[in-house]
Amino acid sequence: MKKNTKIWLSLLVLVVGIIFTILTYFSTSFANKSVAVITDSQIKDVLVDKTKDNYENKDEVRQQTLHLKIISGRYQGKKFTVTNTYSLSQAVSQKYRPHQRVIVSFIKGKPKLVEPKRDWVVVLSMFLTISLIILITGKQASLLLISMILNSIIFYFVIKSDIRENGTRIFLIYSIATILFTFVSLVIVQGFNQKMLVTLCATLLGVFVSFSIFYLVMKLTHERGIDYEAVDYATQDPRALFLAQTILGVLGAVMDEATDIVSSLYALAKHKSDLTFKELFISGRTLGQEIMGPLINVLVLIFMAEALPMTILYLRDNNTLVYTFKYTLSLGVIQSLSSAIGIVLTVIFATLCSAVFLRNKKQRW
Amino acid sequence: MTTLTALLLILLILMIIVGGKTGFKSYLSVVINACLLILVALLISWGVNIVLVGVIFIPLKLLTIIYLGTHDYTVAKNAFLTALCVSLIVMFIIILFENLAQTQGFGDQAGEELIGLSLNVGISFSQIAILVAIFSMLGAIAEASVAMSAGLLELKRHDPNITQKQLIRSGNEVGADVLGTAMNTILFGLFGSFLPIFIWYVRLNYSLFEILNDKLFVDEFLIIVYSFIGVLLTVPLTIIFLAHTLTNKENKK
Repeated sequence: MKKNTKIWLSLLVLVVGIIFTILTYFSTSFANKSVAVITDSQIKDVLVDKTKDNYENKDEVRQQTLHLKIISGRYQGKKFTVTNTYSLSQAVSQKYRPHQRVIVSFIKGKPKLVEPKRDWVVVLSMFLTISLIILITGKQASLLLISMILNSIIFYFVIKSDIRENGTRIFLIYSIATILFTFVSLVIVQGFNQKMLVTLCATLLGVFVSFSIFYLVMKLTHERGIDYEAVDYATQDPRALFLAQTILGVLGAVMDEATDIVSSLYALAKHKSDLTFKELFISGRTLGQEIMGPLINVLVLIFMAEALPMTILYLRDNNTLVYTFKYTLSLGVIQSLSSAIGIVLTVIFATLCSAVFLRNKKQRW
Repeated sequence: MTTLTALLLILLILMIIVGGKTGFKSYLSVVINACLLILVALLISWGVNIVLVGVIFIPLKLLTIIYLGTHDYTVAKNAFLTALCVSLIVMFIIILFENLAQTQGFGDQAGEELIGLSLNVGISFSQIAILVAIFSMLGAIAEASVAMSAGLLELKRHDPNITQKQLIRSGNEVGADVLGTAMNTILFGLFGSFLPIFIWYVRLNYSLFEILNDKLFVDEFLIIVYSFIGVLLTVPLTIIFLAHTLTNKENKK
C-alpha cells in the first residue's frame, strides 16, 4: 500500500468514526432502558455532609439536583427532577455533568439514575484505534482486525459453552479454545506456512507444558494459600474460573514470544546461509533472554494493576498488608507466575522448533 | 509450602537455567515490579498525592522492566527512550478518554465485595483510574519496544554492513510480526483477566446496549485500546530511533 493511500484511508476511517460516534451519542434506538438528558447548564451542587469514617478518612458527601428530560422509552418527553448524592472520591457514586446524556430506570413511575451514557466513547476509541492501525501497519491492518474479530467471536462461543457446562469440563473447553485461538491468530497474520507451523508448535508446547507444571504444583502443595473466595465476580465454581483465566492469560504472552523468536530466527536463517545449529541456539537464547523479562512484566501489570483500586480501598480502611494482599492481589500474582513459567519454557521450545529452518537450507543445496 | 512460594521458586530456577545471569536479573525485575505496584498502593492509601506517585513511578517502572530485564545496554537504552516517549503520548489520550467515559471506581457488580468497607475514603478514584490505565499499558509498551530493538540489533550483529534502508525494511517486517502478536498478548491477557465479568454479562443476559454502557466493560475496553495505541506507536518510533543511532555510529567510524 502506498504511503498516501494509507494516510487517506486512515483519515477516512477517522471521519466515519466521528460520524458514528455522533450517531451513537444521539441515538436511542438500541436502548432497552430509558435515556434522559440533563437540561441544566449549571447543576445545583450542595455540600450535604463532611464525613469522617472510623479510620479518620475525610470525605465530602454532596448532592446534585438535576433536571431530566426523558428522550426515549415509555416516559419520552416528560420532565423530572431528581437528586444525586455522590462523594468526592467517587468510588461507587457518580458526579454528573451539565447536558450529559444518562441512562435512567423507572421504579413506580419515578426515575432513578443508572449511569452516564458511555457507548459513544467506546465507538470513538474503537475507530481511533482502527485508524491508527491502518496508518501504521498499512496492508496488514485488515489481517490484524480480522484476527481480533474472529478471536472475539471464538471467545463468545467459549463463554457460551462454559455456561452450558456450568463451569465443568474446564480443561476440555479451554484446551480446545487455546488451539483454536492460536491457530486462527497465527494463520491470519502469518499465513499457512512452515514458519507458522513452527510457531504453532512452540506456542502449544509452551502453554500446555507450563499449565501442567502449574497444575502439578497446585496439587503437590494442596493449593495452600489460594483463596478462591477472592475470585472476582464469580457466577460459577471459582476454582474452575481461576484455572480458565490462567490458561487464557498464558496463551497470549507465549504466542507473542514464540512468534518473536521464531520469526527472528527465520529472518536470520534466510539472511545468513551458513548458520549452524549452535549459532541458532545461542541467537534464540539471547533473544529469549531479552524478551522474557519484559514479557512477564506485561502480565504482572495486567493481572495486578487491575486490582489496584480495590487494594487501595482495603488499605485505606486500615486492613493489614497481608490481609489485603490475600484478598486482592494473591490470585493475580499466582496467575502471573504460572504465565511466567510458560514464558521461560517457550524460549527453549521456540528455539528448538526453529532448528527446522536449518534443514531447509541443506535440502535446497 | 504455599502454592505461591513453590511457583516463585520454580520460576527462579527456570529463569536461571534458561537465562543465566540475565535470567536472574529478569527475575529480580519481575519481583521488584510487583513490589513497586504494592508500594504504589500503600503510598496512595497513606494519602500521598496521586499525580506525584505517577510522575515518580511511571519512569521507575519502565526502568526496572527494561534495564533489569535486558542485558544488552544498547537494546535497553533504545527501548527505554522509545517507551518513555510513547507513554507520554498515550497518557494524554488516557486522560482525555477517562474524562469522557467516567469509569472510575467500582461497578455495580462489585457490590458483594464492598460490603463492610468504608467507601468515602477521601481519595480521588478518577485519578486512580488514570494511574491504573497507565500502569496496565506500560508493560505492553516496554515489551514491544524491547522486542523491536532486540530483533533489529540482532540483525545488525550478524550483518554489520546492513544499510539504513535495509534496516528500515527489516524493521517493518519485524514490526509487523511484533505488532500482530503484542496485540494478542494484550487481548488474551485481558480475556483471561476479565473472563468472570464476561461470563456474568452472558449469564445475566445483558443486552448489547447495557454492556456498551456498563462501567466495567467500558473500563476494560478502554484499557485494551490504550495498550493497542501504545504498542502501535512503539513500532515506528523504535525504527526511527534505531535507524538514526546506528547510522550515526557508522558515520563516526
